[in-house]
Amino acid sequence: MTITSQRTGTGQQRDSGQPGTGMVNQVTSLARTTPGVLSGLALLLIVVGLAAGVFSAVGVQRRSQALDDLAARSGPLSVAAQEIYSRLSDADATASGAFLSGGLEPAQDRLRYENDIAQASSALAIAVAAHDPTDVTRDGSPLATLSRQLPVYTGLVETARANNRQGLPLGVAYQREASSSVMTGQLLPAAKQLYEDEVTSVSADQDRAGSFPVLEILVGLILLAVLVVAQVYVRRHTNRVFNVGLVAGTLAAVVSLLWVSVATFGVIGDVSASRDEGSAQVDVLAKARISALQARADETLTLVARGSGAQYEKDFATKRDEMNAALDSAQSKATDSGVRDVVTRARDNVKVWLDAHGGIRKADDSGDYANAVKLAVDPTATTGARVPFDKLDQVLRGGIDQTRKAFNDRVGAANGGLGGTVVVVVLLAVIVAVGSTAGIWQRLKEYR
Amino acid sequence: MNRRLVAVGLALAAVTLTGCSAGSGTTTIPAVSAVDPKPAGAQDAAGVSQPAVQNCDGLLASKRPLSPMPKPGAMPASMAGIVARGKLVVGVDQNTFNVGFRDPFTGEIQGFDIDMARAIAQAVFGDPNAIQLRAVTSDQRIPMLQSGDVDIVVRTMSITCDRKQQVDFSAVYYEATQRVLVKKNSGVAGMDQLGGKRVCATKSSTSLSKIAQFSAKPIPVQVADWTDCLVMLQQNQVDAVSTDDVILAGMAAQDKYTQLVGPSLGAEPYGMAIKQGNEDFLRFVNGVIEQVKANGGWANSYTKWLGGLIPGTTPNPPVPQYNG
Repeated sequence: MTITSQRTGTGQQRDSGQPGTGMVNQVTSLARTTPGVLSGLALLLIVVGLAAGVFSAVGVQRRSQALDDLAARSGPLSVAAQEIYSRLSDADATASGAFLSGGLEPAQDRLRYENDIAQASSALAIAVAAHDPTDVTRDGSPLATLSRQLPVYTGLVETARANNRQGLPLGVAYQREASSSVMTGQLLPAAKQLYEDEVTSVSADQDRAGSFPVLEILVGLILLAVLVVAQVYVRRHTNRVFNVGLVAGTLAAVVSLLWVSVATFGVIGDVSASRDEGSAQVDVLAKARISALQARADETLTLVARGSGAQYEKDFATKRDEMNAALDSAQSKATDSGVRDVVTRARDNVKVWLDAHGGIRKADDSGDYANAVKLAVDPTATTGARVPFDKLDQVLRGGIDQTRKAFNDRVGAANGGLGGTVVVVVLLAVIVAVGSTAGIWQRLKEYR
Repeated sequence: MNRRLVAVGLALAAVTLTGCSAGSGTTTIPAVSAVDPKPAGAQDAAGVSQPAVQNCDGLLASKRPLSPMPKPGAMPASMAGIVARGKLVVGVDQNTFNVGFRDPFTGEIQGFDIDMARAIAQAVFGDPNAIQLRAVTSDQRIPMLQSGDVDIVVRTMSITCDRKQQVDFSAVYYEATQRVLVKKNSGVAGMDQLGGKRVCATKSSTSLSKIAQFSAKPIPVQVADWTDCLVMLQQNQVDAVSTDDVILAGMAAQDKYTQLVGPSLGAEPYGMAIKQGNEDFLRFVNGVIEQVKANGGWANSYTKWLGGLIPGTTPNPPVPQYNG
């Protein structure tokens, strides 16, 4: 934008020929007069001032929206997805395990399975409600698979149970179909996909909430530049050093820019902490826990297969390695002693569990099947796998809760940091507009 | 509250300024049809390979029993591996009701085949419990024998020329015949009426290749374990199961809405399978089969497990054939 310092004409050259061009010339020549320029400046300041206010406010509002999404949408949905994934894994391990011990399933195992299904269904309902209907109805989408196949799974498990109660080997066949075809084949991959999608959207919201405030700073600087130019012009053309209105407007613009910057950089810091101290650790601990649950299911299924379970044992080794890798990752990502302690205790229990697993395999491979089963499922067996596994699960759950709390606290703090910013920005924008206009109006009056 | 209002106002302003408009549309509820769950590994068995060797001399003949039969604990040197382990490792079924199945109440594998296997453990070690039962699927039987994972397979295994080239068989210890199992309300009276219909059998079983050969051209469907066939029949995914009468009788006992129909589709003589090149063990096993038939063990086991499933009185045990 260039503003000519030339004091051009008060001369009025009328062109009486064409009315159209005459009008244009009239306006352009008016614009060349000092009052014309002053009026133009006032108009420009109003537009730029208000636009700067609106753009800053929109920027802040978008950030605030991203934080709201983190706190109220993607955050909770990632919890729901993780709940679905881990509960289904646990349900599968529990239901298969109930067939191992022989005789009636222990009441607490049945209860655990029922609670898993109840919790998974409830979390699934939340996830479904939060998504567009098209996400749920699209063939092959994780939510479509989960909502269509979970009832099939539970139906098969109940059929298995009914046959088992009559002493028919048909029950195991139904359980096998439920577990390997529906759960492992469809539900768990869908739950995994859903979980990964939600983790990605948490990360995307964090990116949005923690982005550098380019727009806010840019419009703030442009506004300041226009204000400075206006004051230079006013000073040169009116012999007054300061114009109170413009100075007030400039102050308001500076305060607005500072306010937005300070608030935003505070938020950026909190969002980054919500990732480092929160979601990144939740994610690895959740992965460790889910791998552990699936390894446990494999341990059980190896015994159910009774001699032809080499594939499950191989899968156990894979899940075990994934679990250990996730624990290593949790160790290196840990930002406080609480989480480090969780990882240490988890590893202690993993060690006991893996020793017990070695004992189970040894007993089974040497033909002592009854002892292998006892070691696997009996909570009273001294070198059994059940107690260390349950402890491991408990420790990891505690760690997940702990890091998730850190995430929520940080997101809450970030959201608090933006409180009132929009109102302040809008008020200051009004001050900029009103102040500048009033300041220039004062000068303009002198030309009357 | 104020902040909200301002925010809403600004958001509206922003939307107007940037010229966006909220997408609107109606959601149609798509028609969704159920996807049947299938037992793991179940699939249409297109192009079932037929046995490479269809005919051979002396199919049912095995090696003559050791004479005299050694007492428990005094096995020939060639069986030292089994003796040193202290356990006989037997490949069995845990899915076939009353032949080799896992009793849900006790968790134990038991049945007619298991009694036969225990008789061999008894003869080797003097203890029917000196045994490790490993559940194997039909298609794992020969590979597990050849790799030495099991000493012997006692699992409703029909003696065929093709298999005889890969493993050794004992003398026949049970004579089954292939038949067809359908739902009682199906109106099907035999394999002839199953042209174009889906008929189930386990992978690598003789039953599966017979289904594929049948002139009425049923569609063979293969599964891992026999009970998977009953699951698929109950879930309306197959129209019939065709295999040995003794296996089918176990299924019919688990589902009163099914029945065996039609004539015999061919004999299925069961033998115990052993890795090739263990002649002493093979002769020993044949000796044990003779003993079990002679001492009434065979008849008792038949009465206990199969008497209630297969109509008629307890038959005579099969007559062994030897050729060396």
